[in-house]
Order: sequence, then C-alpha cells, then structure tokens
Amino acid sequence: MGATVDPITATGTHPRNVDGQAITIAVFSSVKWSGRIWLPLLFWAVTLLARVEAWLRRPPGTLARLSFIHFARWTLVRRIPYNGAPQQKEKLSYPRLFFESNFNGGWEEYIDAFSHILTKGMILFWGTSYGFPQPKPTAPFKQYIKENELEASHFYSAYPQATTTMVLAAHDLERKFDAFKGRIEGATPDAFAEAWRAFLSEVQADL
Amino acid sequence: MAAADVAPVDRADIQGNILRAYGKAYDRTSYVFTHLEDPAGGREWLGGLLSQVTSDQERPDPKLRPDETLNVAVTYSGLQALGVPADVLKGFSDEFRAGMAARAEILGDTGESAPENWEDGLGTGQAHILVTINALTSQLLERALDALKAGVEAAAGVTIVYHQPAQLLDEVREHFGYADGFAQPAIVGVSEHKLGGGIPEEGKWRGLALGEFILGYEDEDSLPPGRRLPSAPAEPLGRSGTYMVFRKLAQDVALFRKTLREAAALYENGDEEKLAAKVVGRWRNGTPLVSSPDAPIPGFDREDMSNNAFRYLDTDIDGARCPLGAHIRRANPRDALGWEGLDDSGLLAYRHRIIRRGMPYGPSLPEDAVEDDGEDRGLVFVCFNASISRQFEGVQTQWINDGNAFHLGHDKDYLLGDSSTTNKMTIQGKPPDPPFFLAPQAAFVKTRGGEYLFVPGLRALSAIAAGRWQ
Amino acid sequence: MSNRAGQATAFMAITPIVAGKEDELRAYLDGLSQDESPFALLPRTHFARWVILDDWNDEKSQPKKDHLLSRYLIFTSNFDGDLSSYLDELCDKLAPQAGELWGRCVGCPDGAAGEALKEYLMHNKINTGFFVAAYPHLRVGDVKRALDTRARLIDFAVSSQGMRPAELQSAFNAEFLLTDGSR
Repeated sequence: MGATVDPITATGTHPRNVDGQAITIAVFSSVKWSGRIWLPLLFWAVTLLARVEAWLRRPPGTLARLSFIHFARWTLVRRIPYNGAPQQKEKLSYPRLFFESNFNGGWEEYIDAFSHILTKGMILFWGTSYGFPQPKPTAPFKQYIKENELEASHFYSAYPQATTTMVLAAHDLERKFDAFKGRIEGATPDAFAEAWRAFLSEVQADL
Repeated sequence: MAAADVAPVDRADIQGNILRAYGKAYDRTSYVFTHLEDPAGGREWLGGLLSQVTSDQERPDPKLRPDETLNVAVTYSGLQALGVPADVLKGFSDEFRAGMAARAEILGDTGESAPENWEDGLGTGQAHILVTINALTSQLLERALDALKAGVEAAAGVTIVYHQPAQLLDEVREHFGYADGFAQPAIVGVSEHKLGGGIPEEGKWRGLALGEFILGYEDEDSLPPGRRLPSAPAEPLGRSGTYMVFRKLAQDVALFRKTLREAAALYENGDEEKLAAKVVGRWRNGTPLVSSPDAPIPGFDREDMSNNAFRYLDTDIDGARCPLGAHIRRANPRDALGWEGLDDSGLLAYRHRIIRRGMPYGPSLPEDAVEDDGEDRGLVFVCFNASISRQFEGVQTQWINDGNAFHLGHDKDYLLGDSSTTNKMTIQGKPPDPPFFLAPQAAFVKTRGGEYLFVPGLRALSAIAAGRWQ
Repeated sequence: MSNRAGQATAFMAITPIVAGKEDELRAYLDGLSQDESPFALLPRTHFARWVILDDWNDEKSQPKKDHLLSRYLIFTSNFDGDLSSYLDELCDKLAPQAGELWGRCVGCPDGAAGEALKEYLMHNKINTGFFVAAYPHLRVGDVKRALDTRARLIDFAVSSQGMRPAELQSAFNAEFLLTDGSR
C-alpha cells in the first residue's frame, strides 16, 4: 500500500497551475458587507497611486517590486452576467473577491512573501473577506488560500522558461547593450576589449 | 520569542547528534539499513536495541563518554513493516510517505543520479530501519557492528540491505578540500550562543525556535494568540521526533580539481585557491569570503562563534566579495534575500534552515592528483528538520537547483550542479573589474541513493517496539 | 476600475456552461497541451488560462451559504494593447477552440466566431479592480527578444573569456553585428 499523495511539483502546487517556470494562482473569497464599499474605494485609491507614481517616475510600489510576480489582479465580482434561458439568474448573497497572479518560485515562498512583506497589503485586500485569518502565522493563512484556490484547467505562458527577474534583467541588459554597440563603432581592438570589459562590469547583475 | 517563554527541552527523550553534535572525536560511522520481513519480529529486534539508543542527554562528565553511540531512524515503508496502522501513518508528512525516490524530479535526481541508477537497497522501499553507529576508533566501530550483525542474525526476519561506512577526513574537511560540518543553526534553549547561526535582525541575531527542528515544540510560525504547534504525527509517535534526510553523494574530486585548475588559468593570474573560495563562499580553511575577501585567515577557528556572525547586505550586496551564487550563500542566504528598508532581513530565509550531520566516505584522492583513481568517495549527506518539504526540499529546489531567488536566472549551485550539468557561474567583479565566468560543465556530484526517514523520540521508539500506537 | 497597467491589459469573462456539457468541456481542456496551447496563436498574450468554477467555497463564518446554479467557464488573459483588437484576433484565430469551449456555454452565438462571439465575451466581461504588472511597458515580442539577446550575450561572455582583443572583437562582430539585423 503506497501512500497516495496528490501530484505535487517542486512548486508545491498542482501541475496544471504550472507552465515551465511560471506558476499561476486564482482565489475566490466571499466578501462581507463592508467590503462592498471598501474594496471599490481601495481599488480606486491604489490605481490612482500607481498612476501618480508612474507619472512622477517614482519607483513602483512594493507589490510590483516583488521580483517574482509577473502580473497580479484583484476583481470584485458582484454579479454574474445573465445570458437568458436556459441559464438561471444567479443571485449572489455575497460579492466574491477574485485574485489572480502569475509568478515564479514556490507556492509556499510566494505566500510567505505576501505574509511577511505585504502584511498590511494583505489586510487591506482580504480584510473584508469571510474567514480570512491574519497573514501570520502563515500556516492557517496558507490553509485559507488552499481552500479557496481554483485549479487551472489550462494555463499558458508566452515565455514559460523565463522568470520575472530574468525578464527585467534582459530588458535592462538590452538597453545597455544597445548603448554599448553605439560606443564601439569603429573602435580599435584594444579599445573594444576595454569597452567590453567595462560593459561586462556594468551589466554583471543582469547576466 | 524569549528563552524564558519556551518549554524546557526534554533532552533525554530526543535522540542524540541532532541538537548537539557528538563531536569530531567520533570520527568513524556506519550507516546500516535493515529490512523487516515480519512486524512482530521487527518490533522485537527494535525493542532489543532500545537500551543502546543514545539520547541528547547531558553527560555529567565528558570524559565518561561512551565508546560508541547508536541511533535509529525509520522510513515510511519501515513504519508499515513494523505494523503501524493506517490511521497513525496518515499523520506523517506527504513527502516522507512518498519517499525520496518519488521526489527525484523535484530534487534534480535525474540522469545518472536518477533512482533507477541508485545503489541496491536504497530508494526501493526495502530499507526499513536505519541504525547509525558512531565510534571513537575503527576497532570500537567494528566491535559495535559485529554486535549489531549478531543481533540481526538472531532476530526473526531481519536482514541488512545496505551498509555505508564513513569517516572524518583530516581537519574535518570534505573531499573537495573544504572545511565542513560547522556553521549550524542557533536554536533557542539549546545553542543560542552560535552567533550568526540564527535569524539576522536589526543589529543582532535571534535563535531559531526549537520546533523548526524537533516536533512537539513551538516553531517560528507558532505565534500568539494561538501559538499552535506545527503538524506532527500523533502522540506517542510524534513527540521529540524529527525528519531525517539521508543522501549518498559521490564526488568526482579529480574532475573538480582539473576544472578549477583549467579555469584558474584565466582568473586573477592563476589564483586557484581564490577561485575555489569563490565557488563555495569560504576559503578552504573555512574563512568566509565576506569577512576576508583577499586571503584566508591563517589558523581560522571555525568553533569561534564570532567568526560566523557575518551578513551579506552590509558589505557585500553586489557579491564582489562572496559571489551571489556561491554555495554557502545559496544554502543559507542569511540576510541576502532581505528587503530594502525591512528590519527583519532574514524573513524570507529563516524557515528553510537544516541541521547537517553528514560524514565523508571513501579514501582521500592523493593531493595534486587530477586523474580519477576509480575509488568511490564522497559525502553521506545527513540533515534533520521538522519539515522535509519546507526545509530540505525548499533549499534544494529554490536555492541549490535554481538561481531565481538570487536574480541568477536558472543558474544552479556550481559545486553540486544537478545530475547532468552545472550551468555557468558568475563570479561578480568589484567595479571596475569585469565578472569572471565558470563555464557550464559535467556535474561533480552524483546522487548514489537516499531515503527520507523519521527519527522517533525515545519514548516513541519504545511505543513502536511495544506495538503501542495510541 | 482598472483593466490596464502600462500597455498591458487584463481581461476576464465568466460564461455559464450548458447543463450536461460540463464533462465534455472539462475533457477538452484536459486534452490541451501547454506545448501546443491555442493561446500561442495569439502572440499578444503574456499569460492566459481557462478555469472551471464548479461552485463557491463557503466559509464557516458566513451567515448564509451561497451556491451557484450553473457551472462556469472562466477565461482570463494578460495581454498587450487594447481589448477590442485583441478580442478581434481571438474570435478570428481561436475559432475551432472557441467552438469547443464557449460553444458549450449558454448564450454563445452559433458558430462561436467573429463579431458575434466578441459581443458575447464583452457581455460576460467582469471588469478588473486593480491590475499590477512587473513590466507594464514590455510587449510579448519585447520580452522574447530581450531574453534571446541575454541568452546570446551570456553564451558569448562565457565562451570569449580570455580571448585577445583582436579575436574578441571579430568574434563579437560575427555574433552580434553581422547576424543581428537591428544594431
């Protein structure tokens, strides 16, 4: 009698949620009355903040700097669209907060990062959801996420072998490489070699 | 959490060599795996061993230390072979129940390191009980082994399926020539004096909660108000126990030396020793690169705790001293995964610590030899942790077999690689010096076999031997 | 309400699965492989997925239990540029798949393609509240090109180590200037 265990990949989540290095997570949580008012306000505020930061060219906020997240979104589902019979009209007793994200690394590490680094952020977004335990201790919080997580049926990444840090490094590297190519036009071999060494030193964090 | 809040450690109930190492005087070890044909016979044999099992109890006089120590661990198939019922078995962790061979993909044990290529007896479910004997001399080890074998002969349905002897090398180094076995975790109530072994906080180090290593105690996640204990098998089996990882890792010393030699030709005028230090993050005598980037400290004392109290972010954020992908920086990042402006910079690393108690095996390759002599040599890697998946597997999958956490893409640990190949390794240069690259190449280390085991506390062992499960 | 982050867009549609067709739909999704994902036909797509929502999960602390009357197919996508032209592409390129998936949903137009399908998806759209992207200005093509350049640069940096200047320069030119269309 072998132990029957769910197929767990190195990422700690079901294989269907994984494409190469990319991991996806989707969570629905039921939202209290207070959330109906709070969440739209929150979304408006953080969206505005993000736009202001972009306009001011200030470094992006903590969430965007968590270097293993490609994309993340929160959505409040208040009603399910109706398409006529034979669909039955849904009446939601509670709106549902939908969270979706694509990231790298392990599922556990991802949730840990939210617990430790985005602690206040967690409470802002999930504080009005039923059953939301505190971000720490992490064990009940991970349990909560697991219970409310939806497994993907088909998940696609356009660049599955790349992690977010690789994408950011590649982008930074490309810019600097273009500048380098401009600098070495018509250079002698010795000047080229020196410039190459200087370039490698400049981009070593991207390699 | 302060030491005063913590439950006192029941040292007599915890097996030895976990919280406190037996020490380098015990320089000979044998790892003996047995197979149990019959539950009753197996339990009886286990019962016969109980009085010899060495605990973590304080010895009143260190000079009265025993000639040898004996410890017992059990695989999942071993628990089944002992007759542990299904509802009790469910309390053990998923990865332990699956076994190390089933986790091969995750661990990077593919190609030549894949379980189908492992040595007979390991990874097939045949290995049930691991008896580890440490002794002060080889004669004492022989004597203890003979006694064990006699007991196995006399017992009903017990056979030895695997035996690996091991012994410390000179200066407690491992086969690639690096000082090993030190810089272990600092644990509250046990070893807080190990500066640098705990969690880096603002200006100080905090010991890790005991429950990160021993079941039945609060771990780092046991926060107020609930202060819940981490999940563990139910009493009496769970308390004072821990999970153990056993991996026989064969090392190709000749290949490693040859690779370093060839690569060093282009590195800083052939400084092979420095290149060797860059791969690991410590000079061969144990001096950390972060503390002393240009030369090892002569007579470096690895037992001096203050030598281990270094961090990365304050002086070496870019890896100019200790490369970002160096072995020790990967295996224990300390504050290196820290977050800008965050006080508790060790928070993304602190729940992945392990206690290492492995031993080298096989004869040393003569110094300066760069051709393999065909001898089997390497490291019996042994570690202890409360959660194999979070701790050992977490380190192996996220930090050793991948580089993303360190912004190194898919670069793996250059020393361990994986079964087929290492990737490149970038050795960061101090501006204006450019980085130096170690080219991808065949792996120096191969997995020859392994098991996940449970190390019961002493009362738990008695209960198992008596068939008393609840 | 924010469906955009930089030039990237988030889209979500929830469509009710025709009663009795859930197993077929699920089987079809199970049969899709990531290596030959239909989404590869939409090169503006960074990440996308289909998820089946069987029912809500209820928390113990909820006063009432909530149950869905149908099963739903959820489609989410993170892609480049504006929604309207993306849906045009989807309704054109993904016609066969659309039939197998949305074709099994209530209210889907016959043929599951073109303008009618686009209207159907827009009708079932759920607007995103807050959308964050790590690289909001990079399109899929930008990402892939940069990743490729990085891989080639790394290979070159490793293999050219120790070359004398003249050899280094000519090797560099051969790798990056003659074969690389864009200087």
